[in-house]
Amino acid sequence: MLGFLAARQTGLDDPLRLRRAESTRRVFGLELNPDRDVDQVHGNGINTIDIEAVEGRYMLSGGSDGVIVIYDLENYSGKPQYTCKAVCTIGRSNRYVHKFSVETVQWYPYDTGMIVSSSFDKTMKVWDTETLKPAEVFEFEGNVYSHHLSPIARKHSLIAVGTKYPKIQLCDLKSGSRTHVLQGHRAEVLSVRWSPRYEHILATASADSKVKVWDVRRATGSLFTLDQHNGDKSKASSEAVNTAHNGRVNGLCFTGDGLYILTTGTDDRMRLWNSATGENTLVNYGKVCNESRKKVQFTVSRGCSPEFVFVPCGSSIAVYALHTGELVTMLRGHYNNVDCCEFHPDYQELYSGGKDCNILAWVPVLRVSDMEEKSRNSNNKVAADQTPVDPAFQDAWSSDED
Amino acid sequence: MSVTMESSQRSRLSELVEELTTSGQPQLNQAKIKEVKKICRTSNDCVEHLYHLVMTQLNEEHSEVRLSAFQIATELFSRSHHFRMLLVENFQEFLELTVETDSDQPLPPPKEVAKKLRSQAIQTVQTWQSTYGAAYKKLALGYHFLKQVKKVDFQDAEARTVAERRREEERRRRLERLYKDKVEAATKDMDESFPEIQATLTQMESCMDLLFPQFELPNIQSVSSSPSNRQPVNKRPRHEEPPHHEEPPRHEEPPHCSTDVGQCYSKDKNRKESREERRTKDVRVKETSEGDKEEGDEGETERKQETDEREEKEEDEESDEEEGEEDCDEEDFFMRSSGLISYSYSLDLNLSPGLHVEETEDNEAVVSTVMDLHRLITTKYLPAVQGWVQVFTKAGAEQQLLRRALDVKRSLEAALQKEQELNIHSKTRIRRVMKSVNGESRVDDEDDEDDDDDNFDEVPEKEGYEPHIPEHLRAEYGLEPTPSTSTAPVPPLSSSSSSSSSSRQLQKLKDEEQDPTCAAATLRLLRQNLPLSTEPSTSSSSQKTSVHAPVVPFGLDLYYWGQKQPNAGKIIKAASQHQFWVPTEVEEEVENQQLLAESRSRVISFPGSFPPVSHHCGAPLPPGGVCQRQDRLKCPFHGPIIPRDKEGRPLRQEDRRREEQEERRKKEQQPDWRDEELMRDIEAATGENLGSDRVRRKGKGKKKKFPNLSDLKQSSDTSRSRLQRKVFNKSSMRRVAEVMKTADSRKHDKFSNQFNYALN
Repeated sequence: MLGFLAARQTGLDDPLRLRRAESTRRVFGLELNPDRDVDQVHGNGINTIDIEAVEGRYMLSGGSDGVIVIYDLENYSGKPQYTCKAVCTIGRSNRYVHKFSVETVQWYPYDTGMIVSSSFDKTMKVWDTETLKPAEVFEFEGNVYSHHLSPIARKHSLIAVGTKYPKIQLCDLKSGSRTHVLQGHRAEVLSVRWSPRYEHILATASADSKVKVWDVRRATGSLFTLDQHNGDKSKASSEAVNTAHNGRVNGLCFTGDGLYILTTGTDDRMRLWNSATGENTLVNYGKVCNESRKKVQFTVSRGCSPEFVFVPCGSSIAVYALHTGELVTMLRGHYNNVDCCEFHPDYQELYSGGKDCNILAWVPVLRVSDMEEKSRNSNNKVAADQTPVDPAFQDAWSSDED
Repeated sequence: MSVTMESSQRSRLSELVEELTTSGQPQLNQAKIKEVKKICRTSNDCVEHLYHLVMTQLNEEHSEVRLSAFQIATELFSRSHHFRMLLVENFQEFLELTVETDSDQPLPPPKEVAKKLRSQAIQTVQTWQSTYGAAYKKLALGYHFLKQVKKVDFQDAEARTVAERRREEERRRRLERLYKDKVEAATKDMDESFPEIQATLTQMESCMDLLFPQFELPNIQSVSSSPSNRQPVNKRPRHEEPPHHEEPPRHEEPPHCSTDVGQCYSKDKNRKESREERRTKDVRVKETSEGDKEEGDEGETERKQETDEREEKEEDEESDEEEGEEDCDEEDFFMRSSGLISYSYSLDLNLSPGLHVEETEDNEAVVSTVMDLHRLITTKYLPAVQGWVQVFTKAGAEQQLLRRALDVKRSLEAALQKEQELNIHSKTRIRRVMKSVNGESRVDDEDDEDDDDDNFDEVPEKEGYEPHIPEHLRAEYGLEPTPSTSTAPVPPLSSSSSSSSSSRQLQKLKDEEQDPTCAAATLRLLRQNLPLSTEPSTSSSSQKTSVHAPVVPFGLDLYYWGQKQPNAGKIIKAASQHQFWVPTEVEEEVENQQLLAESRSRVISFPGSFPPVSHHCGAPLPPGGVCQRQDRLKCPFHGPIIPRDKEGRPLRQEDRRREEQEERRKKEQQPDWRDEELMRDIEAATGENLGSDRVRRKGKGKKKKFPNLSDLKQSSDTSRSRLQRKVFNKSSMRRVAEVMKTADSRKHDKFSNQFNYALN
């Protein structure tokens, strides 16, 4: 750490290196922190969360009860103990509230004044966060599993929507109408994602175990379909041709730079694909438990030197090194299945929501050892002051055991 | 040094944990847990080792093991921070294994212990939360998870989850609904049958009024309650003697009791008898008269009774006054004044307490109606009403309904009670009463039998079979009137024996004697054959002969009895009738001695007499006692019958040896149906020795690993599971499959190219 700092000071290093090193270190130190709580507003499982990209301050969550909550993540109190307060809630009392489970929520990438939510009540709503009223409501024939706004789009403001029906709809926020239909899947589309690199590139994952990559400017069809066997016909049975998984593909995520696509399927596998060629990189992540029939929202770290994948795995969150497939750690804290997790790139914090109604904040532990070293030099008392010993942490052997 | 210490501590810990968890006790052994704590105190490694041990034990599929492991965990949790860290780290699993948070992983049996474990775990989590919740985030999360997601009510003593509570509620609601339905049905039922019951009650009431007029009842009761002997006055209901209406009242006649003069004298001598006694006597006299007098006219009766009484009283007083006078004078006077020969009469009256209604022809209809009603009430209405009351009380229905049902029940019971008090019975029925098993159903039985009699039509006797041939028809049947069959209603006929006196009969017999198929002919022949026995002079002797004379079927020998048979034993061959073909030499008649003999002889099979078997098999039986079978030579169970003593031991030496050998052989080849374990179970249940100890033990018999834990498999050893073992074992399944396959293949061979057969 000191070496990095010195190098940074002397200008030997790229500023990015220190940042990456520290971020990586912090990600390694993620754990459930008693100092950080998130208000428990949801009375039911949490399906989706999203942290806005503008300030990184507000977090959005959508629950199975149709409730959408906005939290303030920023701790201005100056104390380590902080409970993320719910700033506003679109609760059951709101007349515009989603009737059924909210499947996806997303901030408008350029402004915190707008959020988009889609739900099993076959609607997608565009909300004004000031008034908490829908500015626009899109209605579909089937349950909406997933939608996505391009995080980088400048030339268009399309929302890709995956519903119960295989056609992918593109809704234009400018006109408030559905402009495109992308055909090619054979079953419900569980997850859609825009590329963070090219604004017209869209990836979709479907229950027909296929993942397609589209260029929305092309009318004829998808660019390519991800094939788990990389076109090796001998390995694939006839019906498994061009499939990404041997089951439903319910998770889809681009890496931060948009060069890779990660998919998870109900075959308990996670695969990493080259987003440019559609090639399976054949990284072995081992078994990633996945029984969800709906979308699984997982995330990739940003700004670390080996990137990490945070993927829900049963009631815990598995952390893998992205390119090696090595399991870094399992974050265990939820008491029921985890449905979604979101990485906060600024603070290297992870937020996860699950069926146990909790949103847990996984916060990097502070480097206690360094402080201890320092404090040991000065005085032992300082350490006691800095880390006040909780009586609960002390052993309580009674004398009669001697 | 430290390494060896460590390993010894570890092994000791493992031992202790195993002992503690397999003890099966609801509480931990204090000494052992203290030792565990002592070891754990030495180092965190020990704590970690213990944690792993505990988690392993918690994963056991046995609630007793889990409970003990959980108790160890609670002990350590309050002591060691390290243990807390470890446990909280894996708190999900801990909760799954103790509180049953995952419905896919229910707590293992036994159920009672699982319940206890659950409630204990929930309480413990709560205390942990209050003590350590702030410090251990996951503990707090777990607590909130239990509280908010699993909706565990920590205040609830039973610590039930929402699901359980919902289930409970559902069950209660279902019960309620059921009860409601029942109540509705019962109400409807009651509303429907209420008029019927009312009608029945009214009918009963009126019937009883008819049998026993209402205005009498209180009178009787008052009389019966009074100490005087008047009580029986009304014991005979008026309706009993309605036909005597026109008869002149008999009470004016001199008392028709036996007047014993001698007794009278003695009585006279004992004049000192108390007046009360006399009065009693008088009253008795009056009673008799009253009893005999016709009772149709009530008013008259009353009046008569009064006059009678007055008369008697006067007489009484008179006699009292004349007490001092001489005997003869007194007598004369008495006779003169009263017209009675004597003033002492002994009257015998049978007084039975209570009311009696005798059935007569006149009240038969009423009585039978009452009985019908009684049956209706006891068999139909009363059970129904009781059912309603039960339903209403169980379901907590409206008071009104319940009261109504109770009212109905009470009135029905009152009616029955009243009917019972009447003591209806009649002589004609009493005979049948004896047959009936219980007195309760007496009335019913009587009625039933009456009904039966009514329902059966008189069926004419079946043709060809007459068990009793009427005496006047015997001749027609070719039978002489035998005294043995007749139950002596016609003595003159029966006395006339074989020398049948009546000419008509004689002639008929003669006619029939020609007919060999007729019984008369046989009898005649018999008579000729046995002249001695066929001439019985008395009915008794004829009876004797009919007993001794053999009855044989009619045959040729009888046909030609005592005759010279011209053709007997000859075979007559017909000569050929052919034109020119003639057999060489044919003897036209062949005498056959055998045939001749056959026509004269008769084969009578003689089976011999049947001496009943008097001995028993006497072989000892396993439950004690000896075989009671009475076979002549060989018992089907114990072989040839040999002499044995009281205990069933053979008396002869060689028999004893043979039996021992047999026993040994039997022991060696134990039939396979004798499941040793099953037999032992049965023995344990019944306490009888079925011989499971005789069954050879296969293998060395696995000893139970943890004898203190309750056996989970025990409950699965039911008759059903045992049958299952038999039915679904591999070999039998294979056998069945083979049979079915062959059946199938046959069909396939036959009809494979015919699609409509091949399809099914």
